[in-house]
Amino acid sequence: MELKHIGNSIDRIDSLAKVTGKAMYPQDYYVDNMLYGKTLRSIYPFAKINIDTREAQNLPGVIRIFTHNDVPNNAHGVLHKDQLVFCKDIVRRIGDPIAFVVAETEKICEEAIEKIKVQYEIMKPVLDPIEAMKEDSIKIHGDSNIVYHFKLRKGDALRALEESYFVATNTYKTHSIDHAFLQPEAGIGYLDENGNIAVIVATQYPHYDREEIAYCLNLPIENIRIINSNVGGAFGGREDITLQVHLALAAKTLNRVIKCVYSREESFLAHSKRHAMIMNYSTGVDKEGYLTAVKAEIIGDTGAYASWADNVLRKAGVHATGPYIVPNVMVDSYAVYTNNPYAGAMRGFGATQVAVAYEQQMDILARELKMSPVEIRLKNILKVGSITSTGQLLNNSVPLENCLRSVTE
Amino acid sequence: MINLKINVNNTDYEIEIDEEKRLIDLLRDELRLTGVKEGCSEGECGACSVILDGKLVNSCLIMAFQVNDSKVVTIEGLSEGDNINYIQKAFIEAGAVQCGYCTPGMILAAKAILDKNPNPSREEIRMGISGNLCRCTGYEKIVEAIELAGGYLNGTKTYRE
Ligand code: FES
Ligand code: FES
Repeated sequence: MELKHIGNSIDRIDSLAKVTGKAMYPQDYYVDNMLYGKTLRSIYPFAKINIDTREAQNLPGVIRIFTHNDVPNNAHGVLHKDQLVFCKDIVRRIGDPIAFVVAETEKICEEAIEKIKVQYEIMKPVLDPIEAMKEDSIKIHGDSNIVYHFKLRKGDALRALEESYFVATNTYKTHSIDHAFLQPEAGIGYLDENGNIAVIVATQYPHYDREEIAYCLNLPIENIRIINSNVGGAFGGREDITLQVHLALAAKTLNRVIKCVYSREESFLAHSKRHAMIMNYSTGVDKEGYLTAVKAEIIGDTGAYASWADNVLRKAGVHATGPYIVPNVMVDSYAVYTNNPYAGAMRGFGATQVAVAYEQQMDILARELKMSPVEIRLKNILKVGSITSTGQLLNNSVPLENCLRSVTE
Repeated sequence: MINLKINVNNTDYEIEIDEEKRLIDLLRDELRLTGVKEGCSEGECGACSVILDGKLVNSCLIMAFQVNDSKVVTIEGLSEGDNINYIQKAFIEAGAVQCGYCTPGMILAAKAILDKNPNPSREEIRMGISGNLCRCTGYEKIVEAIELAGGYLNGTKTYRE
């Protein structure tokens, strides 16, 4: 039978628009008489602030400067509403938004930003997640910096480690990473012909953006439209609000078209990062090279805001033992607030970082047992009939052995 | 304000423009050629690539006043309506387009390579696009697309139906 799609290469539906330069990203929209918006951001990681916009407001060409006073519900975040549309009396990271200037030109916006007076009363930032976890640490939000804790228990890992032939105990660290999608954030806000707020933006979550704008502005969700333009890369970095609420607020208040385009530098400041992780691993093995137990403590630095930390650290915990059969498992993964850039979703959602730890542990065990790295893996990889660390019986396709054999043959 | 004469995609323009404006601003803000993309504003990403008097340049690094009496080709100059050129065809067919933000600059970089040499090696292709970042594709399919376009140009490959 001839199949129409399977086995054939299909052209992307939008590729013609993209190769001709016709595909529109938010920065490509131009409207006569539109206004421009620009965000004032914190330059310190942790400080009390006091803002005075009067002088800036009087600059010719400045239409309006929005601050926390203008936002009915000044909180957003899909899982945890811990981010502010505009900071009120505290900034928690470099890049925290403080005000949004709307003016006739981008240049006037920049001049006005220079003229907004922010008094910073600098506080000692918490930059080390291990320090942040301590009882007596300074708290970024509420009464604990541990925003999420995932526990995985299978068998008796502590005892199995004690009885193991050899145990490798090591600490692994991965760093924070930016998605650096090629199209910096940009957007257009306006009121449509029915008086609804419309925001043209490149986003991964138009549905959540809509809910967050409705909540922040205290409006029914039916009054909000998100128009997803072409998205110039995202990789998880467009799963949080950046300029959506700012543009919606400005459009609603001014009934004008407002455009906002981030520079590359502002893009780095505005969106999330990949979680930096500290991973303490003990992996036990018997004389023949079969794994006996894994005990892992995984600490994810979520920075000033939680974003998608729960999903990321849960996934890190679920994947902590990698594609291997481990009879005894004890994993604790934590997401911890600090004053670092905030971390959220990025390709792999936490499964990526732990591979650095569990795979190096395998190599170290192999060396100790004078076994080849391939041999120890072949002994321990999941197969049809194996039970994973989270208790799932794998009864279908598990082609890991084929894969390993074909790359090593 | 300054006055300048410029030919863009075979059309002559006389434009009055702020001396602080860059070539990319002239092309996007004045002529609305928004296929010219801005990714970094400092010559790193190549999204703003255009062909200026036959040479591939970053339009974010050139001031508008520097291009008086010049000839510029942007992505909009490569096709007429849906009638796309051989490089654009090859990019679609090889699956070299994902988010598309690097694509206009990448296609112009490919044109600069193939205008000089219709038979570039993979090495030469990689050198030729080394000023153009793509965060989506991993480059492999872009290199394949440029090889395919070379094939169309020198007749060793024919267009897919
Ligand atoms: S925008 Fe010109 S090189 Fe990146
Ligand atoms: S296709 Fe997205 S940057 Fe190249």
